[in-house]
Amino acid sequence: MIGKTEDLSAAFGRALLELGRVNERVVVLDSDIADSCQTEAFRNAFPNRSFDLGVAEQSLPTFAAGLALCGKIPICNSFGVFSATRGFDMIRQSVCYNRANVKIVAHAAGQSMGYTGPSHHTVEDISAIRALPYMAILSPCDGVEVTQVVRAMAEHEGPVYLRLARVSVPHLHGDDYRFRMGKLDRLAEGSDVTLFATGDLVHLALEARSVLADQGVRARVVNVPCLKPLEREEVAAQGADTLGAVTIEDHNVLGGLGSIISEIYSGSICKPVLRVGIPDVFTESDDCEKLRKKVGISIDSIENCVHLIVERTQQNAGRTAARKEGAGQQQRACGERTNEGF
Amino acid sequence: MWPKDRALSPVGDRAMIQQLALKALAARRFILKLGFEQKIRLHYGATMSIVEILTLLYHRWMTIDPSRPSWQERDRFVLSKGHAAPALYAVLSSAGFFPESEFDNFRRIGSRLQGHPDRNKTPGVDCSTGSLGQGLPVACGMALCSKIDEAPYKVYACIGDGECNEGSIWEAALIASNLGLDRLIVLLDRNKKSSYGVMKGRNDVETMADKWRAFNWAVFECDGHDYVSLSSSLCGAETTRGRPSVILCNTVKGKGIPLAENTPVRSNFYLEPERYREALESLDKTENEMRHDRQD
Repeated sequence: MIGKTEDLSAAFGRALLELGRVNERVVVLDSDIADSCQTEAFRNAFPNRSFDLGVAEQSLPTFAAGLALCGKIPICNSFGVFSATRGFDMIRQSVCYNRANVKIVAHAAGQSMGYTGPSHHTVEDISAIRALPYMAILSPCDGVEVTQVVRAMAEHEGPVYLRLARVSVPHLHGDDYRFRMGKLDRLAEGSDVTLFATGDLVHLALEARSVLADQGVRARVVNVPCLKPLEREEVAAQGADTLGAVTIEDHNVLGGLGSIISEIYSGSICKPVLRVGIPDVFTESDDCEKLRKKVGISIDSIENCVHLIVERTQQNAGRTAARKEGAGQQQRACGERTNEGF
Repeated sequence: MWPKDRALSPVGDRAMIQQLALKALAARRFILKLGFEQKIRLHYGATMSIVEILTLLYHRWMTIDPSRPSWQERDRFVLSKGHAAPALYAVLSSAGFFPESEFDNFRRIGSRLQGHPDRNKTPGVDCSTGSLGQGLPVACGMALCSKIDEAPYKVYACIGDGECNEGSIWEAALIASNLGLDRLIVLLDRNKKSSYGVMKGRNDVETMADKWRAFNWAVFECDGHDYVSLSSSLCGAETTRGRPSVILCNTVKGKGIPLAENTPVRSNFYLEPERYREALESLDKTENEMRHDRQD
C-alpha cells in the first residue's frame, strides 16, 4: 500500500504539536535550529514549554535530564550528528545512568544532509547509542510511523533516541497501523531471503524486492522501526525460516542494524547475514541519493547480497549432499572392512 | 520565600553554630576512618573542603525530609564534583537518609554507596554524577522545571573550581543566565587546587568573580568553612531575582588533614597510619579549642 508522500521532519513537527496538546509534561528543548527541526509549531503553541538553549548541543541532554528528574518529559532537538555524539558522555552519564526520562531526537540522520558533508552526516550514532543501558532506539520509515513513534516515545518511561532522516517518502502504512516498542513490522512476504531495513531505506528494500521478484527470487521485507529493545525471538520469527538476511541502513556497517541482526543470527539462527550500509569511511558532500549509491546502499548491492546468499546456500546444500554421500560411502567401506573381519 | 533572618548570627546562633561545627567534625572523622580502615584511596582533598557546605545545607538550610527522599517539593542538591561523594554520604547518613551500616559495604558489589553518587541507589542523592561538568547543567534543568511549575523548591549545586576547566560549566552558566534561573544557587568550592595540584600557573580559572559576573550571575563570596559567612551568602543568593547565583566558597583543600592542607599533594590518596593519626589529633585539637571557646 502506497499513500501520500510526506517529509519525515514535517510529520515529526505535526506529531510533536499534537503530543504537546495531549501531554502537559512535554517540554521541548532546541539548539538554535527550531526551523530545521520543525519544532516551531510547538514553540508557537506552547511558549512556556519550549526553550532554545542556543548553539549548545552538549547541554541539551544534561538540561533535559534535570527537567526529567523533576517530572517533565523533555524532547531534545538537534541534527543527529550533534544530538548523538557531541553530547555522548552527557547522554551516558546524565541521561542513561540517571535513568532520566529524556527523549533525544536526531534530525537529518544518516547522509540525508547530503551536500553539507561528512561533518553533518549522522552515521555512527546507532553504534554508539545502542551500547547505553536503558536506551531505546526508534527509526521510523514513513510519516504514519513517525506519528506513532512520537506518541510511543512519550509513553515509554525511560530514555529514547529517535532517528529521523530528512527525506520525503510515500506512506507505507495506513492510519490503522500501530507501532509497538520492540516489535518488527513485516511489510512484504517472501520465502527465500529476509531484507531487514530501517528508516526510509525500507522503501529501497521494497524496490529491491520487486527487482528480485522479476528474477524469480522471493524476498521478504521487514521494517525495523525499533532497533532497541529488540529480542532474539522477534528477529527469529521474522527471518529464521528464510535462507539468510540482508540488512539495509544509512549508517556505518560497524555497530548498526547489520550488527544487531548479525549478533542475533550468529547466536542462534546460524544463517548468513550480509550488510548493506556505509563502509568504515568518512562520507563526502553531494546529493544524498548519489552518496548512498556511491557507498553501496543501492538496489544493485541488495540484489548481489541476496543472490550470494541463495547461491552459497545452494552450494552448501550441494556440498552437504556430497558430504553425506561421502560419509555413506565411507560407512559402507568401513562396514565392508568390518564385515571382512567376520 | 525564605526570611532574610535565616542568616546565622555569631552571637544569637552560637549554640547552633557549635552544633553544626561538631557535626562537621564528626563527618570528617567518619570520612578519615572510612578510608583508613577500608584501605582505599579517596579524594580526601575535594571531600574535606566541602564538609561545612554540606553540613549547613542538610542540617539547617534545605527543605528536605529524610523519611521521604523522593518528596516532590523538596529542595534539590546536585554534587557536580561527584568525586567528593564520601562527604555527601557522611552528611546524608547523619541527616537520617540511611544508617551508618551502609558504609560496611562502601564501594563494593551490591552496595548502595557507589564510588560516585548514584541517585538510583542512594536515598537522598538527587542526581548521579561523576563525569565533571555535568551536574551543574542537570541542576539548571531542575531549576528550569521549578520555574515552569512555579514550584516551591530551590536547586543547590556544588561545583569545584577545578571542574570549571570543563567547557560545559560555562555553557550551562550562559544558558542559566539567559533563562533567568533564580531558583538555582551554585556553591563553588574554591580551594584553588585541582586533582594534580595547585591550579595557579597551570589550569587557573581565576579571576572567578569577574567571570561569573560577565555571565550575568549574582556573585557572593564567603569563607566556605564558616557558617555565619556561608549562611549570609546563601541569604543573599536566595533573595536574588531574575538571575542565578553563585557563591564563591573560599575553602582549604583537604581541610582537617594537615598534610593535605599544607602541601600541594594530589586530591586522591591513601591515608598512611601516621597521617591518619595526625589528622585525628588535629581534629581533636579543633574540638577542644571549640569547647574551650564555648565555656568562655
